[in-house]
Amino acid sequence: MDFGPTTVIKELSFDVARGETFGFLGSNGSGKTTTIRALLGIYQPTSGILHIDGRPFRPAKGDRLGYLPEERGLYKKESVIDVMTYFGTLKGLGRQQAKSWSLKFLQRVDLADKEKARLDKLSGGQQQKIQLGVTIMNDPELLILDEPTKGFDPVNRRLVMQIIDETKKAGATVMMVTHQMEEVERLCDRVILLKDGVSRAYGTVREVQESFGGTIIHVDHDGAVPASASYTIAHDQGGHATLEIDPVTDPARVLQELVAAGLVVRAFTPQRKSLDEIFLEVYGDEAARAE
Amino acid sequence: MAQHNLGTVIRFEVVRTLSKRRFWVATLLVPVLLIVVFLLVFLSNTATDETEGAQKDAQFSFDYTDASGLVEPAMVKRLGGKEISDPAAGIAAVKDATVAAFFLYPKDPATDTIKVYGVDKGLFANGQYASVAESILQQSALAKVNAPQLTGIIQGNITIDTTTFKDGAVAGGMNAVIPAMLFVVIFYVVILLLGGQMLNSTLEEKENRVTEMILTTIRPTSLILGKVISLFIIGIVQMLVFAVPVVLAHVFFRNQLSLPDLDLSALVFDPQTMIVGTLVLIGGFALFTTTLVALGAAMPTAKDAGPVFGAMMLLIFIPFYIISLIISDPGAVIVQIFSYFPYSAPITALLRNAFGTLPLWQAIIIIVMLFGISAVVLRIAVKIFQYGSIEYSRKVNLRDVFHRRATP
Repeated sequence: MDFGPTTVIKELSFDVARGETFGFLGSNGSGKTTTIRALLGIYQPTSGILHIDGRPFRPAKGDRLGYLPEERGLYKKESVIDVMTYFGTLKGLGRQQAKSWSLKFLQRVDLADKEKARLDKLSGGQQQKIQLGVTIMNDPELLILDEPTKGFDPVNRRLVMQIIDETKKAGATVMMVTHQMEEVERLCDRVILLKDGVSRAYGTVREVQESFGGTIIHVDHDGAVPASASYTIAHDQGGHATLEIDPVTDPARVLQELVAAGLVVRAFTPQRKSLDEIFLEVYGDEAARAE
Repeated sequence: MAQHNLGTVIRFEVVRTLSKRRFWVATLLVPVLLIVVFLLVFLSNTATDETEGAQKDAQFSFDYTDASGLVEPAMVKRLGGKEISDPAAGIAAVKDATVAAFFLYPKDPATDTIKVYGVDKGLFANGQYASVAESILQQSALAKVNAPQLTGIIQGNITIDTTTFKDGAVAGGMNAVIPAMLFVVIFYVVILLLGGQMLNSTLEEKENRVTEMILTTIRPTSLILGKVISLFIIGIVQMLVFAVPVVLAHVFFRNQLSLPDLDLSALVFDPQTMIVGTLVLIGGFALFTTTLVALGAAMPTAKDAGPVFGAMMLLIFIPFYIISLIISDPGAVIVQIFSYFPYSAPITALLRNAFGTLPLWQAIIIIVMLFGISAVVLRIAVKIFQYGSIEYSRKVNLRDVFHRRATP
């Protein structure tokens, strides 16, 4: 994907399996939104195409796609119900069907009394709820969400995530761009991590965690932790040690080694690197450069 | 799906425009202004009639001298006038306000000036002196003819029926021009009233950041075409709203408003002229609409689009600067240039069509040109919208759009 002489996305290819939740991760400017726009034909890609069920995707050809863009916006001078009905009809619902779906959704998100209000009279968060409704109202098979919880308070964030989860349970495949790593760990089956338009990690959350340095083990003990080829001692002081093991080493074997070496182990807690830590590891050098 | 969406877009655009108070205020403003103008004309006509009557029946004392011998003393006496021999005395009497006026008829009123002196009664009321002096001379001259037939002819009480022929058949004349000129009026009204809306129709998607939602929901061609068609429908609604007061005024208040006594049955609706007028009107409307829609898609805000929009509006007025050439010398180079330059062609062609100076072969070329360029501009508008309207805050680089290159 080129912007004039600059190549922004480089030979990026990935699959999203039916019914899974896929996390599309990366720092600001790493190419996430550009990739999605190119996939959907909003940008003309230099090469490449989005296939759904093996068919090339073209908007408005009957594919049940729900897309919540990063740049939020609807027809602000129109009423909530008119805009929702319009988009519902464009997405293939009948007018009445679109209207009744919209009314139910408004009740679900506590906006039933805003049915006839103009969109520009609603708060930013309320407008975002309407936009989410418009995105999912055609019962999408593929739901692409670009920072779906951006701008929501914790209560509404939980509500939005519930609605997304319900849509997934109804059979949708969800592709989500987000910076909320806790959400990714909780919701995503697989992720891709972009840096400078190139994939830096791709797989299940566990696979990605393992590919970035495996496991950390916190050990509370009496005595001194003996040196071993099975682990690296990152820290050992005051009866608390932190050991690092590579992805192929089984933590149980480490425990056996420690006990066999005569160490009194009071607590043994293996812990994978969080996505937050991995994110910082990948992009930390950029932050350092910026400083 | 595409056809279903086209209908959905048209419905949405038309309904939301017609349900806006702002639209009706703007639309009703024109007929309201027309009614106000009609009312002013009505009041003015009533006042003018009364003034004319008052001046005609004006009675005031006056003296006169008549070197021509044309003035009938008996008639003057009936009007309250008196012949004297010394002009200086007459002027002095006016100065003293002993009489209201003094008329000095020269030896040959046909070549020499009739001098009128009067007591000042204000700018408008002073006109009655000249009116009475002139009337006395005219009535006196008519009395000397002493033949009712000749008197009637001199007074202009004659009717003339002119018949002209075109291609061996009776030509319509002004009765054929009037219906064809309606196309010019309709074009102006629709473009002037809807121009801003045409421009804003795609700007709205950009300004409201709806583009991405729309582009993944509907084909841009359906969206743009839907907007163009809905603007056409809205234009028809506006024309109907404007027509109502005109029709009502013509039917019920024609005499009071001094409207021309137009015999509608005499109007000539020449099929070729009307078909050409209709096609040029639709072609011109399509060209301006698609161009303004493309402009809206290319520019970030209405303010940025202003200069180009202004130039386009200017192009529909420029042909009127050469209207005399359009009527009398349609072969003139400037008329030909205006006829074939796409954005001045609609008005030039409609005027030439109305005045019968647009040959059929030229009309066909212009119509094909207007529809052809409209189709091309529509494609360009769609492309700009598809690949350019994501540029929310800056002008679209047309080179990028046409080379189908991505823009960040």
